Amino acid sequence: MTTTSLRPSLRPALRRRTPGDLLFSIALGTTVALVLFATIYPIWFVTIASVSDPTMVATGRVWLVPQGFSLFGYEQILADSRIWTGYRNTILYTVVGTALNLVVTLPAAYALSRREFAPRRPLMFFFAFTMFFSGGLIPTYLLYRDLNLLDNWLVFVIPSALNVYNLIIARAFFENSLPEELFEAATLDGVGYLRFFLTMALPLSKAIIAVIGLYYLVQHWNDFFTGLIFVRDYDKQPLQIVLRDILLSNQAFAGGAGGAGGSGGGEYAQQFADQIKYGVIIVSTLPVLLVYPFIQKYFEKGVMVGSVKG
Amino acid sequence: MAVSVDETAARVPGTTPVRPAMRTRRGRTVSGHLRTKWQLWLMLAPAIVVTAVFAYVPMYGIQLAFREFDFAAGLTGGEWVGLKYFTQFFESPLFWTLIRNTVAISLTTLVVGFVAPILLALTVNQIVGRRRKRFTQTATYLPHFISIVVVVGMLQVFLSPTSGVVPNFLSLFGVAERNYLGDPDSFVPVYVISEVWQHCGWNSIIYLAALSSIDTHLYEAARVDGASRPQIIRHIDLPALVPTMVVLFILNMGGVLNAGFEKIFLMQNPLNLQASEVISTYVYKIGILQSQFSYSTAIGLFNTVINFTFLVLTNQLAKKFANTSLW
Amino acid sequence: MARTTRSRRTRTPGQAHGRRTLTTTTVAVAASALVLAGCTGGDDDGGETTGGGGEELSVLVVKHPLTRAMTDMAWVAELEEAADVSISWEEVTADWDQKKSTMLAAGDTPDLIIGVNAITDADLATFRTLFEDLSDDLDAMPNVRAMLEEVDGAKEMATQADGAVYALPSWKEFWPQAITRQYINQQWLDNLGLEMPTTWDELYDVLVAFKEQDANGNGDPGDEIPFDWSPVGTTGYGYFQPTALLGSLGLPITGGGGAGYFVEDGEVGNFLADERWKEVLTFLHRAYAAGLVNQNVITQDYSAYQSVARGSGDTAAVGFSWGWTASDRFGARLAPQYASMAPLLAEEGQDEPLTWSYDFENLTANHVVVSAQSDAKDAALRVVDAFYDQDMSVQVLFGDFGTNVEKVDDDTYRVLPPADGTSDPSSWKWTSTLADFGPMWIREGIDLTLPADLAEAVEQSEPLEEAVANVDPDEDVLPPYLKMSTEDLSTLALNSSTILNLTQTKFAEFVTAGGIEEGWDAYVAQLEASGLQQNVDLYQKYYDESQG
Repeated sequence: MTTTSLRPSLRPALRRRTPGDLLFSIALGTTVALVLFATIYPIWFVTIASVSDPTMVATGRVWLVPQGFSLFGYEQILADSRIWTGYRNTILYTVVGTALNLVVTLPAAYALSRREFAPRRPLMFFFAFTMFFSGGLIPTYLLYRDLNLLDNWLVFVIPSALNVYNLIIARAFFENSLPEELFEAATLDGVGYLRFFLTMALPLSKAIIAVIGLYYLVQHWNDFFTGLIFVRDYDKQPLQIVLRDILLSNQAFAGGAGGAGGSGGGEYAQQFADQIKYGVIIVSTLPVLLVYPFIQKYFEKGVMVGSVKG
Repeated sequence: MAVSVDETAARVPGTTPVRPAMRTRRGRTVSGHLRTKWQLWLMLAPAIVVTAVFAYVPMYGIQLAFREFDFAAGLTGGEWVGLKYFTQFFESPLFWTLIRNTVAISLTTLVVGFVAPILLALTVNQIVGRRRKRFTQTATYLPHFISIVVVVGMLQVFLSPTSGVVPNFLSLFGVAERNYLGDPDSFVPVYVISEVWQHCGWNSIIYLAALSSIDTHLYEAARVDGASRPQIIRHIDLPALVPTMVVLFILNMGGVLNAGFEKIFLMQNPLNLQASEVISTYVYKIGILQSQFSYSTAIGLFNTVINFTFLVLTNQLAKKFANTSLW
Repeated sequence: MARTTRSRRTRTPGQAHGRRTLTTTTVAVAASALVLAGCTGGDDDGGETTGGGGEELSVLVVKHPLTRAMTDMAWVAELEEAADVSISWEEVTADWDQKKSTMLAAGDTPDLIIGVNAITDADLATFRTLFEDLSDDLDAMPNVRAMLEEVDGAKEMATQADGAVYALPSWKEFWPQAITRQYINQQWLDNLGLEMPTTWDELYDVLVAFKEQDANGNGDPGDEIPFDWSPVGTTGYGYFQPTALLGSLGLPITGGGGAGYFVEDGEVGNFLADERWKEVLTFLHRAYAAGLVNQNVITQDYSAYQSVARGSGDTAAVGFSWGWTASDRFGARLAPQYASMAPLLAEEGQDEPLTWSYDFENLTANHVVVSAQSDAKDAALRVVDAFYDQDMSVQVLFGDFGTNVEKVDDDTYRVLPPADGTSDPSSWKWTSTLADFGPMWIREGIDLTLPADLAEAVEQSEPLEEAVANVDPDEDVLPPYLKMSTEDLSTLALNSSTILNLTQTKFAEFVTAGGIEEGWDAYVAQLEASGLQQNVDLYQKYYDESQG
């Protein structure tokens, strides 16, 4: 829709390219190329490092192509049966958690965006205050214990049902991007807040739903702290805990081979530790990357076009 | 709004400073308010409940900062010591070093990390061709997912004074070779650049979403008027980002004493310690490793109060000058 | 084109309806999640329960990330049978410190916690009511009682100032006393026709030769790294670091140096403010300034430190360094090139006898604690005692009989080489069992054939023997098990954070940039102002108490 619909109008402009426009295009192209290089090269590095001899990586001999190719890291990661349980759990927590997040956040954000809603300022303060002040880990732990949330998978979705940061962003979007005339027209037809929100506001806010949804999704995907502190049963642990356990084997040796009562990590262990840390990134990130293109289409120009004109 | 509002921009939804809000049927009494606004309260109810239970209930723990942690007496049973732990922190010989380092790191990150995503979003938005645009977006957002351990590992490899690609590359331009990881003066730049590199693409997503809500007719109209691309960016794209920018800026200012713990800790070495010891690493070394619960709670509270003060100040300023605020 | 249609469709009410359906679905999913939770919440708590009858026991074990699941170890079933319990294991491999502080502060502990120093003396001081005092339970634990009586220092290590015993140590006979060994590339010496150095000056000359000539004979005289050491952290010193050179001046350190405290003839001091440390720093700077030290030495991480020494193929990269064994440090392929060496003399004909770091590696503290709230205390004690059984201890350390260890007869054991050809003995041990993290008592009288890596460590320790013997455990060793009050621990921690912030920064500065002569006095004055003497006094007080 974007470029297709824009092109006819752009064409005359491009045809009569001024020197300024040309300069702009060149500057743009250079910038994009630099940005791409700066982001793609490190990713490429992670990829080749995950299949290279870790000694060569650490001594700076791996640059463009894998050196001493081996899939040892991946074999080790994928052979770990806990990975698959972790994947299953993480997908469950992410899907249910993100759904709950949207259900809690979007209506609240919309309600807070209504300028005629007098209590919205104290309420915003009520929410924003919690971004800063918290009781700390121990009271939280005791609370979860009383609510029977310890070792319960709901601990991954319920306490984090609302992220105030996302609430604020969503509110700002509703406040600034929804034409007030729409609401006025709807109210004249006797439409209430709830119905207006569901039938008008939401369909017009795909971009922000996509962004907030993505934020929540990634937040759940990357959450290891909840599992670390509040869950003991390994069968309920998310992928990140499993991966962190594998990943930190690297740091376990950083204290020295003889440290912590240990003695001698051994070459195998060293290789395990070094190669796996790159592989873990690929294994844990791939699924999130696959989600992105589906969300991306909501960021393109003109998502709202048409309906606004109503 | 601080941004100049011209003919074109005025048509962008969201840039009009004050919209005449609906004042009709405004309830003057509580019952009147509930009669007209009960649906809004219903929509807010889950959020309020979750926040009240999971954020406000545990807040009694804050008093630990003013009490001696005494396990046998229970969490709130320890002796009341008032500001003892705060004084201890203020009188610590490291206090000013910690504050200076923390502010230097977080403020630089805040400023650079705030501007970069905006520029990136504006740039990406200019790319012609859907595939190229999507590819660029995906590529820039990828680094966000690399774990901190690996980012620091990569810094080690890339910045190594003997074999690293960055020092070798810079020396081509006559920049003297130095050990970027071991130089206190380089710590902040290295940290900030790697932060921006990692999170810039991710943070630009929100701006891309805001850009996507611009009415395409505006562009067409601007083209017809013969506006150049820089002019369009300045008068259409940028104003559309302002509301989001203001909100994010306020939120960022609430992080003025936050400097990410794990990455700084992993980047620390004896050579850069004088620039890299920050509040969070100090709390870790003294609190977590040594079970100094009261002391670390007190430092945490100090941090929070400063951050919150900055947030409130910024919020007031934003309310005054940009007519946008959190509350 | 499809896109155009879609964007047009947003105008129709149908699209709005589609969104509502989606929202409704989301609500439904979230709601059913709540219902589901009602069913699954709390039906089984705890990890896998291994077989066996008897009482149920929950055990948390802090193990190495490489170590396989507890239920996969055959000795675990034996242990449960011997103690007549069935254990549900909670296995922790990462972020234990964070997990622990919440768990303890909330008073939520399992029946047993196992792991080397998993519960530290500082934890015991803060949370002592959480743990069972075992001093009156020794009748129920004959193995433990025997160990505390027979092993020198074990009882002192386990006993708190008030006489209580909350945590039990482990004893591993046969372990080399020191972790750090000193290596030089013998082949490089031979290639260049040089003698093994015995003093700092001789070492310096050798390192210069390594740097200037093509010691590894690959045609490039510039690729040799004469001198390298393990990354020095910001919280203190450890193994394989230049603190090893303090032994040249007769200064007796423990555990690689730590925060600098040491005892000499019954007197506590801190080497960070000692003239002898100044001499070491001066030597290090001299070597660094001459380009003899790896230029990344301060900033590299442990991976890089190890990887660099692996060289490439048969070409070694590092001349002089410290490590656990030659194979561990330089890789199996290059290890034969290296020789372990005796501590160096600071100068020829010096009076001070040489010493070496005293690491207490065979007697290690706090391997197991019992919860005071356990409802199965007797069962817990049976499990603890079963760990310290002779056969069980050997299996806890080296792995199962049959696959990892061959039991020849009652008192004779032979540790087997790795069964999967790819692994090395050390990794094999860590993947198979709890190894050094477990509670155990490897007895003095048994006949044990060590695995190759340990045999190598013992053999390569020989040059150090004389220096280690110069250290009088009663007069020159700061015991790692001083039991301090929470208040004193807190004072120590506060002062230490300031002291180490200064000393570690200065270490890096002195070594790389020099300025030691001019800067030393100001540095020491600053240390004094940071509470160094207060800390030394505290250590002295507790040291004197421990000596009775």
